[in-house]
Amino acid sequence: MSIENLGRRRWLRQGGCSLGAMALGTLLERDGFSASPSAFAPRAPHHSPRARAVIEIFCPGGMSHVDTFDHKPELEKSHGKAFDAELGKQTFAGTGGTYARSFWPFRRHGRCGKAISDLFPNLARHVDDIAFIHSMRNKSALHGPAMFMMNSGFILPGFPSMGSWVTYGLGCETDNLPAFVVLPDIRGLPPGGVLNWGAGFLPAVHQGTVVEASGTREPIADLFPPERQGDEAPGRAFLRSLNASHAEARASDTRLAARMASYELAARLQMSAPEAVALDRETAATKAMYALDDEDIGPFGRQCLLARRLVERGVRFVQVFCGAENTQARKVRPNWDSHEDLVRDHGYWGRVLDRGASALLADLKSRGLLDETLVLCATEFGRQPFLQGGNRGRDHNPGAYTAWMAGGGTKGGTTHGSSDDLGWQAAGNPTYSYDLHATALHLLGIDHEKLSFYHNGIMRRLTDVHGKVISEIVA
Amino acid sequence: MPRLPLALLIIAAMARFGMAADFNSQAKPVFLARCAQCHGAGTAKAGLRLDSAGGALRGGTDGPVIIPGQAGKSPIIARVTSDKPGEMMPPKGPRLTPGEISALREWIDSGAKGGRPEDERDPRLDHWAWQPVAGMPTPAGNPVDHFINARLKAAGLSPAPSADRRSLIRRLSFDLLGLPPSPEEVTAFVNDADPQAFAKLVDRYLDSPRYGERQARHWLDIAHYADTHGFERDQRRENAWRYRDWVIRAFNADMPYDRFLADQIAGDQFRPGDPEAVAATGFLAAGPWDFVGQAETPSPVLKRQARADDLDDMVTQVMAAACGVTVNCARCHDHKLDPISQKEYYGLWAVFSGARRGDRPLDPKGEARRDDERKALQAKAHELRAAMARLDGKGLSLADAVGGGDGLGSGTRGAGINPATGRKSTTKAGFISGAVANQYRALGGLVDGVVIPGGGDVPVSSTGIVAKSLPKTSANAWDAIRNGPVNQQRSTSIAGTAYSGPGHDILGLHANAAITFDLAKARATLKADTLRFTAMAGYGGRPGDNSTKADLRVLADGVEVDRHLGLNPASGPLAIDITLGPDKRFLTLVATEGADGGIGHDQVFLGDARLRPSKTARPSAAETANRREVAEALAAIERQISAIAPSPMVYAINGGPPEAVRVLKRGNPEAPGEETAPGALSCLKGARPLEATSDMGDGARRAALARWIAQPENPLTTRVIVNRLWHHHFGAGIVGTPSDFGAGGGKPSHPELLDWLAGELVRRRWSLKAMHRVICASEAYQRSSLSQDPKAAMADAGNRLLWRQNPRRLDAESLRDAVLATSGQLDLTPFGPGYRDFVYQEAYAPIYRHIDDDSPSLRRRSIYRFVVRTTPQPFLTTLDCPNPANLSPSRTETTTALQSLALLNNPFMLRQARHFARRLSRDAGDSTDGQVGRAFALAFARAPSRSELDAAMALVRARDLPELCRMLLNASEFCHVD
Repeated sequence: MSIENLGRRRWLRQGGCSLGAMALGTLLERDGFSASPSAFAPRAPHHSPRARAVIEIFCPGGMSHVDTFDHKPELEKSHGKAFDAELGKQTFAGTGGTYARSFWPFRRHGRCGKAISDLFPNLARHVDDIAFIHSMRNKSALHGPAMFMMNSGFILPGFPSMGSWVTYGLGCETDNLPAFVVLPDIRGLPPGGVLNWGAGFLPAVHQGTVVEASGTREPIADLFPPERQGDEAPGRAFLRSLNASHAEARASDTRLAARMASYELAARLQMSAPEAVALDRETAATKAMYALDDEDIGPFGRQCLLARRLVERGVRFVQVFCGAENTQARKVRPNWDSHEDLVRDHGYWGRVLDRGASALLADLKSRGLLDETLVLCATEFGRQPFLQGGNRGRDHNPGAYTAWMAGGGTKGGTTHGSSDDLGWQAAGNPTYSYDLHATALHLLGIDHEKLSFYHNGIMRRLTDVHGKVISEIVA
Repeated sequence: MPRLPLALLIIAAMARFGMAADFNSQAKPVFLARCAQCHGAGTAKAGLRLDSAGGALRGGTDGPVIIPGQAGKSPIIARVTSDKPGEMMPPKGPRLTPGEISALREWIDSGAKGGRPEDERDPRLDHWAWQPVAGMPTPAGNPVDHFINARLKAAGLSPAPSADRRSLIRRLSFDLLGLPPSPEEVTAFVNDADPQAFAKLVDRYLDSPRYGERQARHWLDIAHYADTHGFERDQRRENAWRYRDWVIRAFNADMPYDRFLADQIAGDQFRPGDPEAVAATGFLAAGPWDFVGQAETPSPVLKRQARADDLDDMVTQVMAAACGVTVNCARCHDHKLDPISQKEYYGLWAVFSGARRGDRPLDPKGEARRDDERKALQAKAHELRAAMARLDGKGLSLADAVGGGDGLGSGTRGAGINPATGRKSTTKAGFISGAVANQYRALGGLVDGVVIPGGGDVPVSSTGIVAKSLPKTSANAWDAIRNGPVNQQRSTSIAGTAYSGPGHDILGLHANAAITFDLAKARATLKADTLRFTAMAGYGGRPGDNSTKADLRVLADGVEVDRHLGLNPASGPLAIDITLGPDKRFLTLVATEGADGGIGHDQVFLGDARLRPSKTARPSAAETANRREVAEALAAIERQISAIAPSPMVYAINGGPPEAVRVLKRGNPEAPGEETAPGALSCLKGARPLEATSDMGDGARRAALARWIAQPENPLTTRVIVNRLWHHHFGAGIVGTPSDFGAGGGKPSHPELLDWLAGELVRRRWSLKAMHRVICASEAYQRSSLSQDPKAAMADAGNRLLWRQNPRRLDAESLRDAVLATSGQLDLTPFGPGYRDFVYQEAYAPIYRHIDDDSPSLRRRSIYRFVVRTTPQPFLTTLDCPNPANLSPSRTETTTALQSLALLNNPFMLRQARHFARRLSRDAGDSTDGQVGRAFALAFARAPSRSELDAAMALVRARDLPELCRMLLNASEFCHVD
């Protein structure tokens, strides 16, 4: 497919930009100013893209691969046996107990016959659209650093997140919404907090903008004054004329024109953001599909539905969190971190993810959006194939876990890489975040080796000095 | 291949004339032809370079490839003669010819002699920044203008005229103080007829206490300072601010920059008794620290990784801040661009390998003195308390004893004893792995000692009593035995009684640990022969942890007298009441992991654990009469004790024995290579080498690096700081990358000027204030930024030649401070703990929720903000305030709609607009035009034009005065320096 054939996807060549990530160069071009190339100017894709937008579902806490997507018949045979204590040196919180088979039986699904555990009855219907990567590894077994690695390619804080790299590389399609939107779990932020969607050393325009998913507060911080005070028009007009005469005396400083434009864009955002998060025009069937009325799974359904609406409106990257930080002990853990009772916690979060993610895939597909929207589901690490001490839970396992992609040019019904027979270590085609990110960028038309930014002596990349595109799962 | 026979001919010739085989003539042609494509300057695969003798002999990341004199044992020969894929070299293309191989063999066998020295020179050593600072003579006139104008003249450009005085004072005020000038200052300066008016203004601002606050912001950006650890368990550093205050004071006092640097690296070594010098070392600890990886995890692999990141952070920060070099690029392999080897990078690790971040007393000597005073008073108090305890019939609190007390209330709540080492533990700790079981740590007080029980013969007293009935355990442990709950303990109540509350206490015990109390000591205090031990036992894990089972046993002289096994949330209240006859000498409490394996949440605790007389002795009549006197005497002594203030602490460096540092292959802590001694960079010409050796302790190593950095001959140190000053006065440095002077960074726009400034700094005894004077006195600094000279704009759009000043936007903190100054709300209280614009909630991962209200403490200057790493302040972040995860040599500047929304609608801005309006009414009375005039003077340092006045008055009529104020605070003119 050549770039000329993508006429309906005007965004490809335009490389425009948005409120959240207003690209100075583009903006000024539109306003008739000439601008010198700047760090903010978005770049054209390196090759013709398959996806125009990304929805990443992130499951903090560490989703067990052996209980969900990575079927391990050998583990069933080893069930109840003591594990090799030598392996215990990698455990995070305690000693290893006995090997334990999946807490849910696996069944084959779809034309591809992929085995999925019964934790995901709805998601299982979509396996022919999904490409699984079973050989993920993380360089850290700790939540914070492992989250950073999956989101930025580095275990240390301060590196740009994937969403910020993508908007840095491509800009965005709309002038009315931020380019990179984050929808945190209603329980709170994930481990590592806002740094997970930070721009690091990239210009701060590229950081993710949190959009409030609850519907009870304004969708974006400071969108309106806390109390509506009266007609905004006279003040805006005064400010505009004040800034115009200031800029006039400094005509060569293009930042001032950009600043004035940012106030016009802000006004547009006040119109478009509430519209984007208002669900009243969604049909009853759609609301039911996302289970919006369910107390437990409704909030995540709402996040997924918002993600679809944002992508429809031109947002480039939406990150949806399925779980929060380990905060207070409640009846279930606030994320997937199931150390003591996997049935309780994965059981809860499994229902949440199953309904929301499957509804999202079905919804995107029915609207013809799945072809151009890459849906990515990730977690920071997997869990051990053996129990944690005498608990009915599993400890962290950075040695192997599963991520999956659907839509946006991925080849559905495929599997890449494998963990070993017991699911303890990645075995076939082991990879870190690098290959996952390289592949996602590739689908967006970006060569991950060319998407770089100079910082403190190094041309930095999302994929560090690693990464190769997983061509087997690219359609 | 005609080259080869020729080479062989030469070898034959050399052999004939008795010459040794030589690298250049023999090995180099082969290497260049067959190997250097992958193992050359730019590529250096596997860290190996074969284009020089030095590179070939040094070897690669997998070790040496050449063993001189032994071709048969040299890996390179094995590789070039192999035909196994994955092993053979070159991996593709034709094999080496027998002639080529024998040339290499001969060269190695004859001793692998190097080429001539000039052939070995690394061209990267010629990079400008490594050369000595050129001794530039001071030109006549203003030296800065001499260099700047020479370049402009050469480019055929004419400089812009000087800025008007109103612009000048506003520029200077923001540059030096970070605040706008008051309208009165502006008027006075504009009307000052003295030709030296500007120089006087510079002097006045340099003397202002606000100067240090402004300059400290720049330095703390470079130090990536914050008031919390960062990472998942982002705990507070309650004492970090003392370093921040030190930086402010150092700038205000114009501390010579060489000492400013040296003290931050090793002040505690140079002047150990000086609290200020200790506070300075907070610099080394300013960056993030991973509690989970460093302390909590049981995994040695994760601990090594966390420590590696910790050392990398320290080394990177020090070298980037002081020298502008990116040494961290050499963590995994030799630096790709600069002549910095991986070994040199790890040499810098070795400088800091004894340094660990943590709280440290500012004044250790004073602290020892106060300790002695405290002890003397405690001894008196002990006698009185013992008398009180006998009179009241209360026993001795074992929790208090665990907290270092006498059982009568002198212990520290929260303090504890590490069961593996017997050492006092005052801060939360994590997993203790690899401890030696059954190693009794005798302490010799009411607490006789502690031990981690491993099963078998467990020693449980200082006299050698052994318990034989205890189960075998993993010997892992968690945190410490505490006077209070252990780290991560969830429950502190038993049967409805909260033992963390007043009138109660908790002895926190986590498997596997045991503690023994000396009953003889208790008897001496209580003056009773037969004792009772009473307590309530409870489970401290979280309600959901029903699968864990912890065991508690009570021993008397090593023999079990009580047990509660399989404690869990469902365990009911377990009362312990044991009589200990006069023959019993030791009481031991043992927590073990139980039958479930693993120590997770195996938290046992004892509420109100007491040793008391079996019968309450009847106090004598005299004693009863004395009771009030005793109580008063005790109260007096306790007042005296609390009057001895604890030593102030600073979050800085606690030196210990340096760990051995090894070069890590590919930066992997699990692949250690050769051990390396402390070292620094070798590429700096004219600089004295680092004087440090492996037998030096932590402090001496750091002191050596401090001297190496702060020597006038270090060409980077002086250039880097004068460039930073320049950067903050012009918005761009002479070198555009202020923390990277290497080959990957920018080239100086005015190299002679840079060197003259660097030399001038040393000539002016490293005074930074003197350098500000030099820069500010120049026409270049004072030029207008408004010039639209089309010729110059065409030739030098980026203004590298400085034909005009650069217009600049206020950084986030300056903007917030300027808003407060303009609204009249700025609280200039200096120093002390930072203001906290958040609500803190204790949790596994602490929660910081930002708040905004009108309380006075939230109106202080932004430099005094308590900076939380994981939860950046949203308003400031939107305005491009960087995250302290990163070293920030310069601020990035973005323009977004979210910024416009924040400035328009954030509650802080709206509140300040209202304050601003009230101030106008106060200052200018009721007339609207007077109010508008005052508003423009405060916000823009100028009067409104006629049309601006009309428009402003129309806005006030249409809305109100606060709405006008809100818009003025949003104006580009307000948010920009020029």
